Amino acid sequence: MMILGDYLARNASLYPDKPALVAGGESFSYSQLQCRVERRAEELRRSVASSSSRIVCLRALPSVEYIADYFAYQRLGFAVAPLAKDIPEEVFEAISAELSSHAVAEGTAEVLYTTGTTGKSKGVIISHRTIIADAENLIHGQGFSHELAFVINGPLNHIGSLSKMYPVIMLGATMIIVDGLKDLDSFFGAFSYPAEKMATFLVPASIRILLQFCPERLAALADKIDFIETGAAAISQSDMEALCRLLPKSRLYNTYASTETGIVCTVDFNGGKCKAGCLGRPMPNSEIFITDKGTIACKGKTLMTGYLGDPQRTSSILRDGVLYTSDSGYIDEDGMLNLKGREDDVINVGGFKVSPLEVEDAAMSFEGVSDCICIPVPHPITGAAPKLLVSVKDGTEVDFRSLGRYLMTRLERHKVPLFYEKVDSVKRTFNGKPDRKFYLETHKTDIKTSK
Amino acid sequence: MKEHIRKILEEALPLVDFDSDFLFSELDSLGVAAILMKLSDEYDIKLDASDATPMNLKNLDSLVSLVERKLSTR
Repeated sequence: MMILGDYLARNASLYPDKPALVAGGESFSYSQLQCRVERRAEELRRSVASSSSRIVCLRALPSVEYIADYFAYQRLGFAVAPLAKDIPEEVFEAISAELSSHAVAEGTAEVLYTTGTTGKSKGVIISHRTIIADAENLIHGQGFSHELAFVINGPLNHIGSLSKMYPVIMLGATMIIVDGLKDLDSFFGAFSYPAEKMATFLVPASIRILLQFCPERLAALADKIDFIETGAAAISQSDMEALCRLLPKSRLYNTYASTETGIVCTVDFNGGKCKAGCLGRPMPNSEIFITDKGTIACKGKTLMTGYLGDPQRTSSILRDGVLYTSDSGYIDEDGMLNLKGREDDVINVGGFKVSPLEVEDAAMSFEGVSDCICIPVPHPITGAAPKLLVSVKDGTEVDFRSLGRYLMTRLERHKVPLFYEKVDSVKRTFNGKPDRKFYLETHKTDIKTSK
Repeated sequence: MKEHIRKILEEALPLVDFDSDFLFSELDSLGVAAILMKLSDEYDIKLDASDATPMNLKNLDSLVSLVERKLSTR
């Protein structure tokens, strides 16, 4: 079986001068990128010869160095664990140390870290076979092509953006990496690239930002944008309709995907059915069904191999080739998957998952905090934002800005609560767990502090 | 006006240090968007992507100047 790195090498022979990557204002052809990968693999070969671990952590920077390292390590038989570019050094080191104690099965390409309900990030094992299956799904489902230039603006440790590299490299297309949407001029500047067809992936929060602050600039790209994909969080009906009006000729996809399931379903909501929550039909390498509990289950080649070093947790959701998600949904009269919500406590912050337990564990280690609970509150851009309710030890005071800055050293940035409130005590259920339902109910219209 | 802007922005982004002279570099895309949204709503001015420059978001004073310029041309 050809792995993604083999496609890169093949395309370096077939299309040596074709641009493979544009990053940091520089363009790299397929032959240049392949040369860089081979050179880097030679450099690394000596340093990793004595390594007992076959997994390596990389900071997922928006750079050619990261992309070259990704392929170089895989070429040497390593699995790559991309971590957030701004992950605190302490957390990076802790994950690196933990990974070094694990062995990975032959054929493992990546270990992607994702948030679970238990408060600890989980390493999701992704095989080379899964990567190729995801690429095939995207090529068939969304029309990726050799002529395409794809603008990647999100974090390259997250499946939403990382997965777009798969079909791009497989087809010999071009990827243009920009560092998020903070500098909107850079984002829009990427679309001046001389390609006939351009596409991008935007989480709903990014679409909201573009619709709010620069609809005219987006509309000016109507002839150039072949398609946009969104996913990872719910997009509102009004934003879907606004995007359709601005880009009447572009295909606009809403996708059902997760690190564990891979890229499963997609629908062009500018091609007929424009309905919030509708995520389309399964792509060729995937199947879905709804369980008796009303949750979504997936089958097919895009599923994860399992959670690293945690067979018990793996078997709790992956059994006999079926992955049982916590998402509730239904299949409509057109055979399309519709998402209703989640059955667990994970907070979705504009497409990035936050475990309240992980936040609470980190906050409890801050001096003066006697108890706390992390809950979602409404947010006009991300849909939801984490808020921390804090009970303070007698005779002490907690400065919330200091607490927030402390949490930034312990957690990825999107996990750090945006809002804080002092409470006398945290209400708990009869078995001692924080009463999340109570606080969700009492804070669901918490517009005053979250707007 | 400066203290009022500080108050509403600190309410929206409590972790951001609005005394910093390197405000833009401390913000992520959501922070930039939140500031533009808050100021547009509060002062009924139109702010768009072209206003989100490092110069305009350098510090609290530059944000005040941005609002004043927009108000004067409204």
